[in-house]
Parts: sequence; structure tokens; C-alpha cells
Amino acid sequence: MGTASVQLFPEFIAETLGLPGVIGEVVAALIAAAVVGNVVLAFTGVAGPWAKRKITAAFTDRIAVNRVGPFGLLIIPASAVQLLAKELIVPEGVDRPTWDLAPIVLPASALLGFSVIPMGRLGPINFHLADPEVGLALVFAFASIASVSLVMAGYASNNKYSMLGGLRAVAQNLAYEIPLIVTAMSVVIFAGTLRMSGIVAAQETVLFSVAGFDIPSWYAFVNPFAFVLFLTANMAEIGRNPFDIPEAPTEIVAGYQTEYSSAYFVLFYLGEFVHVFLGGAIIAVTFLGGAAGPGPESIGFLWFVVKIWGFFLFTQWARSALPRVRIDQLIEIGWKGMLVLSFANLVLTAVIVGVIA
Amino acid sequence: MSLEAPDTPDTDAADEHTPDELAALLGDLVVDRDDHLNAPGFVIRPDTVQETLSVLKEQAGYDHLSVVTAQEYENRYESIYHLKKFDDPTQEVSVVVPADTDDPVSESAEPVFRTADWHEREAYDLMGIEYDDHPDLRRILLPETWQGHPLSMDYDKDRPQIATLPEHANPLEDHHKDAKSDTMFLNIGPHHPATHGVLHLKTTLDGEQVVDVEPDIGYLHRCEEQMAQNGTYRHQIMPYPDRWDYISAGLLNEWAYARAAEDLADIEVPEYAQVIRTMGAEMCRIAAHMLALATFALDVNGDFTATFMYAINDRERVQNLLEDLTGQRLMFNYFRLGGVVWDLPKPREEFFSKTRDFLDQLPGSIEEYHNLVTANEIFQMRTIDTGILPPDVAKDYGATGPVARGSGVDYDLRRDDPYGYYDELDWDVVTEAGCDNYSRLLVRMREVEESAKIIGQCVDLLEDWPEDERTIQANVPRTLRPDDDAEIYRAVEAAKGELGIYMRADGTDKPARFKIRSPCFSNLQTLPEMANGEYIPDVIAALGSLDIVLGEVDR
Repeated sequence: MGTASVQLFPEFIAETLGLPGVIGEVVAALIAAAVVGNVVLAFTGVAGPWAKRKITAAFTDRIAVNRVGPFGLLIIPASAVQLLAKELIVPEGVDRPTWDLAPIVLPASALLGFSVIPMGRLGPINFHLADPEVGLALVFAFASIASVSLVMAGYASNNKYSMLGGLRAVAQNLAYEIPLIVTAMSVVIFAGTLRMSGIVAAQETVLFSVAGFDIPSWYAFVNPFAFVLFLTANMAEIGRNPFDIPEAPTEIVAGYQTEYSSAYFVLFYLGEFVHVFLGGAIIAVTFLGGAAGPGPESIGFLWFVVKIWGFFLFTQWARSALPRVRIDQLIEIGWKGMLVLSFANLVLTAVIVGVIA
Repeated sequence: MSLEAPDTPDTDAADEHTPDELAALLGDLVVDRDDHLNAPGFVIRPDTVQETLSVLKEQAGYDHLSVVTAQEYENRYESIYHLKKFDDPTQEVSVVVPADTDDPVSESAEPVFRTADWHEREAYDLMGIEYDDHPDLRRILLPETWQGHPLSMDYDKDRPQIATLPEHANPLEDHHKDAKSDTMFLNIGPHHPATHGVLHLKTTLDGEQVVDVEPDIGYLHRCEEQMAQNGTYRHQIMPYPDRWDYISAGLLNEWAYARAAEDLADIEVPEYAQVIRTMGAEMCRIAAHMLALATFALDVNGDFTATFMYAINDRERVQNLLEDLTGQRLMFNYFRLGGVVWDLPKPREEFFSKTRDFLDQLPGSIEEYHNLVTANEIFQMRTIDTGILPPDVAKDYGATGPVARGSGVDYDLRRDDPYGYYDELDWDVVTEAGCDNYSRLLVRMREVEESAKIIGQCVDLLEDWPEDERTIQANVPRTLRPDDDAEIYRAVEAAKGELGIYMRADGTDKPARFKIRSPCFSNLQTLPEMANGEYIPDVIAALGSLDIVLGEVDR
């Protein structure tokens, strides 16, 4: 996957449909974004009402949805209708525009992140909307807007549990965003670029061969330590066990989303799932070779899907198995442990790369 | 962990005192004698309660105020302080404090025993006795606005009651030290995912840290004592205990009533029935402890935790055995005065093999829990050294059961005040010295193994029991009328601790006073001790480790 040779998705659409000029570019970009957005939302639609239930059930010795349609798949439309048909309860004293905006900001920020993710090719189509110079920085910037939404929800809900959830979200994001980004910087040192396609391309070389199998130089293999660090920080970033403390059901009821119902609740859930997938996508791009995998390059998108669903599975596994840390422990792990380790990793990587190169 | 090991028993305290020695010790404090079937009773003046209890506590070693019973006679009110020793609960003494009908005031025991706080509030609430020197004499089970005291004789039950909702009350206003303090008041419950029922915790927070927590109970008060007083001894009371600790601890609760009533009416239970009772009760204990483990995992891990479902699955297995034995899954109503209602299910071999199968797979499950829960570093980080309950505090609050044993208090009525078939069997009392949330969980998990040992031995015994000696029921008169004015307090080791019942007979076939000593009620009282200064998640964990059932707290 050379950087220059591969056509981005909007360009492909503009060319295929023969849309000329600036207007053509805009229309093509909108179509491409709609397609990518809908693919991601479709993942969420499958994950939320169906896959999550099935996965959790498998982890906890249950059966879960199996009555509606084959494998219970029709629970997806059933749940959608059910959730949207519920009454939207607006509690007294909520801070109106903020309260309404929060559930939109969360999924929007996560969806925006997908604009720079190279999701690989499916046939002639390259699922990659934009490939700016600062791709990696941009994706982190988008992803961290999410915590703004959590604070908005927590603050505007006029509920103490929501407030606590919002405050926890800020503390948690501050503590984990830095190790996350510092660890990602070690990848940038390896790849020598912030451009997403460049990072993917840098992982294509063969690291070593074992019994005829080529092990690619995915950064998860090159620097497993950074991978584990990044994975952990990412779990905290997306707020999943053992770091699900902004929600912390059984402690602060449901944290920032306590007062949300109906469509707003769905939007929050949607946002969380998209966020999990975005987390998976970032990990796939930075550590797991992007869309790389066995087989021709034209099915790369499928490998990418496998990787982000693999990450989703991992979050659900953690959720079923791991206890939740306490807020002060979380902050301590973040500032005293992860931060130090991530800087050590960064310095070490810089030294190694400097000596070798 | 810097807590000292629990005090070694004071030799003076362990000494047994004859009633006359006690009377001599108390000297002038004793006005009269009013012996109960279980203990000598000393009548004292209402203004010498603290003095009397101090003497008994410090000089005679009665360090366990089990319960405070309040009742009304035609000519007086009466508060009874049932005292025991943690080292030897068979040594009991009752301190009887009469109070005037027109102006029922009596001195509070709270400065001597912290646990008297809630017990006296309950006595005030339901009976109307006022306690001088009580730090906070308010209603506890009924709403603040309730008119009258429902268990007193002049209570007008037809009077309409209005329970207002003080919607705009600011609970911070009066009890806050400093107007500029930036603490936050938070209602945890009555409907909250972690309150295990309808419990209301009035919590004051400083950031995420708990400054003060005050449990507000009574949402599930169902007049259990009153209902029992309206039932006949023989059959009408037995179904109620199932409804106290309704988390499958039914047989353990039934045993509390059975033991008290059998001792009151002098009924001998056939040995065969005792073995069945012991087996059934321990099955209930496993079921109850499994649920405690499951919900504790829920509190610490969050929802969607595998541990919850695993533990519920194991509970389901023992629940199936209980269903085979009693015909019921929740409200067993299996015990009868003088025995049990029916013999083991037929074919017996099938029941035995099912039980053995359960016992065989149990060690595997326990190991899995240890892998999944107790060995997990995050879990240990969360539970070790949080929710500390030092042994002397536990005793002061009358904490019993796994809560006390998790603080190293070696107190188990099955061994210390034997009943049923326990003293014939080989098993151990489990204690842990950690005093924290982790220890309390560990005690429950190890107790499950001990219970399994007991069940295994019972199955062996029952299997070889000669067919012609399988008497499940003693001869009990159709109508029981225990002697007039006979009084008894008897307790058993229920799933949550010492479940005791006080009964006073008045010559009829119904008890004149039926008082329930709920272990959860006393255990819950320790929550502020564990919670203050900790973080919200620790309070939730501490509450989970207390393993309360609101049905038993509120009765």
C-alpha cells in the first residue's frame, strides 16, 4: 500500500461518478463520509442489541437472545423500535441546550475520528476518507472531544450522580490521555510520520520469519510493551472495565447518563460503542498493521473489521471478568504508573531508533 | 494492616457466674428477680441502666448486648436487655427495666453498648418507651410523622396516618459544622442498584470521600412481630420466618423460631429430624452465601460480571436440592415444632446421589471463584484494607455472623451454643483477622466449604439410618399453651449471624410478645464505622460485604 498510489474513497467516488470540480469533490466527500459513517453505525447496531448480549452471555454461562429470528438477530430491529418508542423524560432543572447537545457530541466526536482511519480495501474501494499530514494527532483530538460531552451531560443533568460521573470522566481522561498519546508518539518515532497511511505502510516490512511464516513488523510485535500500555490506556480512554468508573453502575447509578432516556439514551450508547470501535481502529492502525492480513490486499477491509471486532470482544471480556478500580486508584495508576512507563517507553524507543538509524 | 489481634479471652470474663453471684455483684442495683427460661433476669430501676450494664460488661464479662426487647404490660412498660458473652453465649443474663405506664422513661444503654442506639430507637418507635440520654431518639422503622406507637396497647389502628415527603428539606442545614463547608449531600437509595433492596443511605460527601453516612431503614417494615403475635404457636407462625431473610436462608430462620418455641414448650425433637434440619439448614447457608458472593461481585465488578452468574448457577444447584427436600424454592415452611413436615424425598438414593454430586462439584466451583475473584489483583486492591471493622467495634455493635468472624471474633452459635446435630459433626468455625471487606467475603467462601462438610456427614448418617427409627416428628399437642408468663430468648446461627427470638407466653395459644433479633439490623449499624472517610465505591463494597437483607433489617 504505497501512500501516493492508493486512491482515497472520495476521489474514487468523484472519478467513478464523474463529478467534476470543487462541487463534485464536496458531493463525493459527503457520499463517502455517509457510507463510512453508516458502516460504523451498522457495526454499532449489531454490537449493541445483539452481539454484546450474545458475547456477555457466552462469558457468563447464559444463552441470551435466541427467540426473535435466526440466532435472535431480529432483536436488533425490535430493540431499536423499543428504545426509540420510549418516552423522552426531561427532568426538571436541566440545563437545556447543553443537556440536549451532550448526547449528540459523543457519537459525533467518535464518528469524526473515523474520517482519517485507513480501513483498508474491499475490491476497488479504499475505505479511507482523508489522509492528512497530522492524521494521528487529529484522531486523538477527535476522540478526546468525547470527554467534553460527558462533562456536559454530567453538569447539565441537575443530578448529583451525573455530576460525579462527569467529574470522574474528566479526571480519568486527563490521567489517561497523556500516557495514551505519549505511547502513540513512540509509534510515530518508529514510523517517522503522523500520517495514518504512512504508519500503516511502515508496518508492512517483514520482522522475521518463523518456519516459513513471515511475521510482519506490526508495532505490537516490534514493541509489545508499548502495545500493552496503549491497550490499557485505551480501555481507560473509552471507559471500559476495569476503568468504567464514569458510569460505574452499582456505585453512582449510571454516572453522567443517569438522567437520559429514550433517543438520548440510545445516542449515548451509540456514542460509546462507536468510541469502542474507534479505539479498536486506532489500535489496529498504530499497532496491528492497519488492514494488513493474509490474502490479497483487496480484502484488507475485512481484516480491519476483524481487528476492531477483536478489540470489541476484548472489552467485553474485560467487562465480564475484571473488577473495577476505585477512582483514586485509577488516578494513581494513571499519573504514577502509566505516565512514567509511557515516557520511559518513549525515551527508550527514541534512543533505540536513534542508535539503529 | 496494623490492627491488633482480637483480645484473648479475659479469664475473669470467661468465668461462669451463678445467678446469685451476679445478684451479689450488682448489689443494690437489683430490685427484683424475673428469671427467664434461658437466663436469670434482674429487675432494676429505670435510672440505673447504664450503671448495671457497665458492671455486667466490665466486671462479669457480658460483652454482647444481643437485643433490646420492649413490651407493655397492663401496669407497666418493660425493656429487656438480653446480654451474652462473645466467648460463651450460653452464659446469658436478662436485665429487665420496668417503666411507668403514663410516663415511660428509662435510661439509655447507648453509652455502654453502641448497638443499643438502634434497638432503643426501635423500642421507642414501636412501643413508645423513651430513653433518657439517648443520642438520637427518633423513629427508625416508621415515618417521622407517624402518630402513636403500634405495638403499645392504646394504639389506635384506625387513625389515618399521613407520611409526608419532606421534599425541600435540606438535610445539610442543621447538622453541618461549618456554613462554608463544600460538602455535598447525596441520597443513596432507597432505589439504587447497590442497596440490595430498599435501603436509604443519607450520605455526606467531600468530593468523592464520605464524611458521614446514615442508614435510613424501614421501607420494608411489614409488622412481622405483630403478625407473629397474632398467630398460634403450633402452625401459624412458622411460615413467617421464611420471609425475613428471604434470600433462601428460610430453613435457618425457621430454626430460630422452632428452637425458641420448642424450648418454651419443652418439646424434644427426634434425632433423625435434627439431622435433616441440620442438612437443610446448611444447604440454605450455602445458597445464601453464594448469593452474597454474587452480589458482592456485582458491587465491586459492576454489572455484566461473570462471577454473578457463576455463583447464581451454583446457588441454583443447591436450590434444586432444597426444592426436592421441601417442595418449595423460596418460602420453604418445612420445619414444624418437634420436627420437620415430611421425610426425605423418595427415592432416597436419588436424593443422596444428587446431593453428593453437588458436593463433589463444589470444590471445583470454589476454586474457580478463588481464581476469578479473590486472587484477582484489582479485586484485592479494592477490598483489602477497605471497610475496616475492628473486633472491639464489631462487638460493641453486636455484629455477628460472617461480619464478626471477618473481624476475627470467634463467635458461632452452632458451636458455642449447640443445637440441632452440630456438636456431633466434624466441622470448623471460620474466622479471618483482616477486619476488611476481603475478609468478610473470604469467611463466607470458606464457610461454604464447612457447610458442605456438614451436609456430607449428614447424608452419610441419613443413608445408614435404620428404617424403623426414622421419626420426623415428636408428639406435640394440637394446641400449644406454654405456661403463663414464661419468657425465653433463643438464637441460632442464621446465614447473616445471630438470629434470635424472644417470646413471652401469656397462657394462650399465641405469644404475648414476639421479638425478632435480626442479625442484619445490628450488622447494618456498623456501616458508618466502616464507611466514614472512605470513598463512595468502598462504601458500596462495605455495604455489599455486610450482606444485609432488608426483609430482615426492617421485618
